[in-house]
Amino acid sequence: MEGIGLKILGALLTTIMAFAVGMTYGGITRKLTARVQNRVGPTIWQNFIDLVKLQSKKTNIYHGVMGHFAPMWIITAAMTVLMFIPVLHPNSTWYSTWFPNLTFHGDLIFLLYMMVFGSLGMALGAGQTGNPNSAIGVTRGLSQMVGFEIPFVLALVALMVQYKTTSIQDIMAIQDQSGVWMMFSNPFSFLAALFASLGMFRYSPFDIVGAPAELASGPVSEFGGKYLGVMMTGGSIFAFIKLTLYVDLFMGGAYSIPELLIKTFALYMVPVFYGWVSPRYRTEQAIRYFWGWPTALGILGVIIAVW
Amino acid sequence: MENKRNSQTIAEYIKNWSRKHSLFIMAYGTGCGAIEIPATLTSRYDAERLGIRGAATPRQADVLLITGYLATKTLKRVIRVYEQMQDPKYVIAFGSCTINGGMYYDSYNTINVLEKYIPVDVYINGCMPRPEAVIAGFQQLQDKIARGEADNGTRYKENLEWYRANQHRVIKNWRMPDYNW
Amino acid sequence: MNTLALIILIFFSGATLAYLSSLISNKLPGWVALLTTMTGTVLFYMSFQNEQALSFSIIGLNLEWALDNYTILFAHIIFGLGILASLYSVQYMQNKSQQGSFYANFLLSIGSMFGIIISKDFISFFIFWEIMTWSSFLIVVWNGIGFRKNGIWYMAMSAIGAYAMLTAIVLINSEIGTYSLQAFFNAVQENAIDNLMLVSILLLIGFAVKAALMPLHIWAPRAYSNTPASYTSVFSGALSKMGVFGMGLVLIRVFRFSGLQDNFDYALVSQFTSHVLAWLGGITAAIATLYALVQKDAKKLLAYSSIAQLGYIVIGLAIGTKLAVMSALFLAIMHAVFKGALFMAVGAVERQVGTTDMTKISGLIRRMPWTFFVTLVSIIALAGVPPLSGFVGKWMLYEALITNGNFFLVVVVFFSSTAAFLYSYRILFGLFLGQEEDDTAHVKEAPATMVIPMVILALFLIVTGTYPGIVFEPIAHGMEYLGFTDVTWNMTVLSNVWGDSVNLQYVSTTIGVAFMLALIFLTFKGRKGTRGVSTKDISTSGEIPLEHENLTFQLDFFKPFERAAAPLYKRSITKIYEDVANGLEALFDFTRKIYTGNGQTYAIYVVAFLVTLLIVVQNML
Ligand code: SF4
Repeated sequence: MEGIGLKILGALLTTIMAFAVGMTYGGITRKLTARVQNRVGPTIWQNFIDLVKLQSKKTNIYHGVMGHFAPMWIITAAMTVLMFIPVLHPNSTWYSTWFPNLTFHGDLIFLLYMMVFGSLGMALGAGQTGNPNSAIGVTRGLSQMVGFEIPFVLALVALMVQYKTTSIQDIMAIQDQSGVWMMFSNPFSFLAALFASLGMFRYSPFDIVGAPAELASGPVSEFGGKYLGVMMTGGSIFAFIKLTLYVDLFMGGAYSIPELLIKTFALYMVPVFYGWVSPRYRTEQAIRYFWGWPTALGILGVIIAVW
Repeated sequence: MENKRNSQTIAEYIKNWSRKHSLFIMAYGTGCGAIEIPATLTSRYDAERLGIRGAATPRQADVLLITGYLATKTLKRVIRVYEQMQDPKYVIAFGSCTINGGMYYDSYNTINVLEKYIPVDVYINGCMPRPEAVIAGFQQLQDKIARGEADNGTRYKENLEWYRANQHRVIKNWRMPDYNW
Repeated sequence: MNTLALIILIFFSGATLAYLSSLISNKLPGWVALLTTMTGTVLFYMSFQNEQALSFSIIGLNLEWALDNYTILFAHIIFGLGILASLYSVQYMQNKSQQGSFYANFLLSIGSMFGIIISKDFISFFIFWEIMTWSSFLIVVWNGIGFRKNGIWYMAMSAIGAYAMLTAIVLINSEIGTYSLQAFFNAVQENAIDNLMLVSILLLIGFAVKAALMPLHIWAPRAYSNTPASYTSVFSGALSKMGVFGMGLVLIRVFRFSGLQDNFDYALVSQFTSHVLAWLGGITAAIATLYALVQKDAKKLLAYSSIAQLGYIVIGLAIGTKLAVMSALFLAIMHAVFKGALFMAVGAVERQVGTTDMTKISGLIRRMPWTFFVTLVSIIALAGVPPLSGFVGKWMLYEALITNGNFFLVVVVFFSSTAAFLYSYRILFGLFLGQEEDDTAHVKEAPATMVIPMVILALFLIVTGTYPGIVFEPIAHGMEYLGFTDVTWNMTVLSNVWGDSVNLQYVSTTIGVAFMLALIFLTFKGRKGTRGVSTKDISTSGEIPLEHENLTFQLDFFKPFERAAAPLYKRSITKIYEDVANGLEALFDFTRKIYTGNGQTYAIYVVAFLVTLLIVVQNML
């Protein structure tokens, strides 16, 4: 029984950490963006304050069952994926004590599909509000997903083929043994995945889903208060998950929390930097963008991996 | 301590503190004042350092900004937006037009006193108030929230009949859904 | 009497009875059909554990019928779906005319499908195959509308398939002198058939038509969308699986386990054919998905999606590794279940609302909650999102492709299943979400006899999402019949040849716990201040949508995607076929000129033909 208690504690710790890191990164981004625009900007804890405020709204509305369920789907997907992803390197002491969770019971393809679970819930919830902007936002998001999924999957296939495994731990272990990170041993795949991450994080020029200017924040336009708060939490955890996944796959994982933070933050800055200097694409331009060079790089990566 | 928290419970204090530092504004760009809001939010005056940022829809917003004179047609939409916002919500009114009609005091199609139609927390006077004044207004609102005195939504609910009567008086083709609390 | 013969007899006499009873009352045939399928199903499930075989001869032809494990696998699909569909059908067809002929053909096609899978000789196989084709064709043109548009393609394609198959059968007979399937397999083992490749390819063409494989698929969207929904679920769920059934026999038993793999030429050709088929399957999946997501009619959308799903199944069979075949058969069963449920759900909408045009319907979720639930579950399974069973099949397919080294095919499959999210959302949103329509305010949930079959299918999807072992067991037995040895499976753990695995029990438990926590938190936190509002109460810049105004976004749903993928939409197979047909017509026109009506000319033709034939035959020998 002691084992289970420890596991639950570990799971809780992982969730809290993922949440805190995701939120703080968001806050840091806001601060940095402000500094780039020659502003003072909010504190880096601003996202936490926003969240507390959203949760302490006195009244909330929903547009029906799916509208009520949508935030739950998101947070469920986020927590489930988090349980199946190795947060730290399997060889590190922290991992075996605190963060093993359920990582031995899932693999890469499973994670890919599990991540969609949340978006699906979001899409349904947004659909039920009846707000046309929400549905338009959802169709844009789905279309964009078909776009960036191609280079991303090409990169993952290269990875799985190169190392003959679909398990994330094995990929990490192999990188450890050879001493070369995947981002160096197959740079083309890494680049393809990096381009895909631009679409995943939805900073400009790929912020076509939220599109505050013409879609009034798109899918979430009818959500406020506690619902928006839970969505924000889920989104933050997802940001952390995506970053951790990239670190695990391409940068050999992390042995301790500080190392994880450094690596994820470095990765996170890529879409953020790219966003600062970009205007917004139209949906079809965004899709075409991903089907262009990123896909070519991905194919190159697979060819190299097969050799 | 008692005094500073203004006899609020600790939970209330924390909630109000977070509300104070996180104001999502719904800028209803009426009148001349819409032009001052970008100036307030962007680099020069940077309202985001006070936790103020734009919200895209009334569902997410906390503060409704009425930036100037209101035509009766617009008033209808403003009421709609206001009612779609969720408690606790606040209203800031800009310029003399919202206070007493300003230079449009005798216009046939604008309302004179906003307070008669929806409750207002803070008035910022001037014609048009500069961004400094706007930020001062926001700070005043923040103080009010921190003291726990900003009760815009409750005021509206309690005096709904009075507000409705006033609204009906100016809006001739009243075709609004019932406001179900 | 032998049970197999009895079941066939029951279905065929049931068909006659259904037709005759329609002369008494238009209500009767539905009940007759339900009774018939029930009797047949009960008989089958009472006896399928026992060894059963039957052989008899008519006019000098030896016919053999028998049950084996592979057959039983498909019999589960046929009877499972058949009985639910006929239960559903009773209320669904309630107010339609000509029920007699509908139900007669309904029963005929179910009976003949069972006949196909128990046939152990080519003669009865072909006869049942034709009965199945004809009965389904008669249902496609059942209401008499759109014969030229819908029926003709089905007939033309089926004819191509039937001729290909017939040629193959004749060729086989000329080589081994018997029509027995077992003799054929034995001859294959002994390499006694000279043009085995030709035979196999001809057979594959015959099966590919039913499995709606590119480029023989064009009949499917029209035929599927034109049949009554209660039959479409059988049509798309079970009847198309007959193609899969045959393909499995050819691709696995003949190609893979023929013992001829050391024969270099043979191995080369068979592997080449398999690869071509796999890619055809991939292209079918991708293109059909692209077409599915631009459809405005829910039934059409599902029809295209069926084609895409069958593409996955063909890929699995063509790859032919243990995991791939397992995934293909698993997907075949799951496709029968979720597509059956989806067609039923759309049929329920059609019955209650009167149309399946998604641009005209919206916001049915509150009116038809059960139908929505079924659609939601089936769509999640279709999209392959955990924790439902569609994911299991998808996972196995991906792993099979990756471990087998089909890297680019896996990307094609990934592309089409990601694009499948688009049409999945389209159908859920189009029918059930969005603003509520004034015209549909009176709509009620479908009657219980329609809802129950759907819900049973949906529950099956949920259960097998965590315990796919229930389905793995018959599949493993069936695969052993096909020639695989020690097929391993686990109740809840999926694993590939590299030793990577997914434990579904952990998955669904985690999802369940997380969802419960979130549910409790969101429902009980600030419960007093939370209220539901109508879908008219939306933030539209302060504008108030009037009662009759519907702001739901339905037209040009994926326009940006269409624009991005425009080059992929340019080519249309139908167009090519139509060009061919036009060309043929011109040819026939020319031929007409040859038929002068003069006896002398004809005599010359006959002589010329005979001479040519002789030369050709000489060369061939
Ligand atoms: S107060 Fe002055 S600036 Fe403001 S709306 Fe009225 S007239 Fe315009």
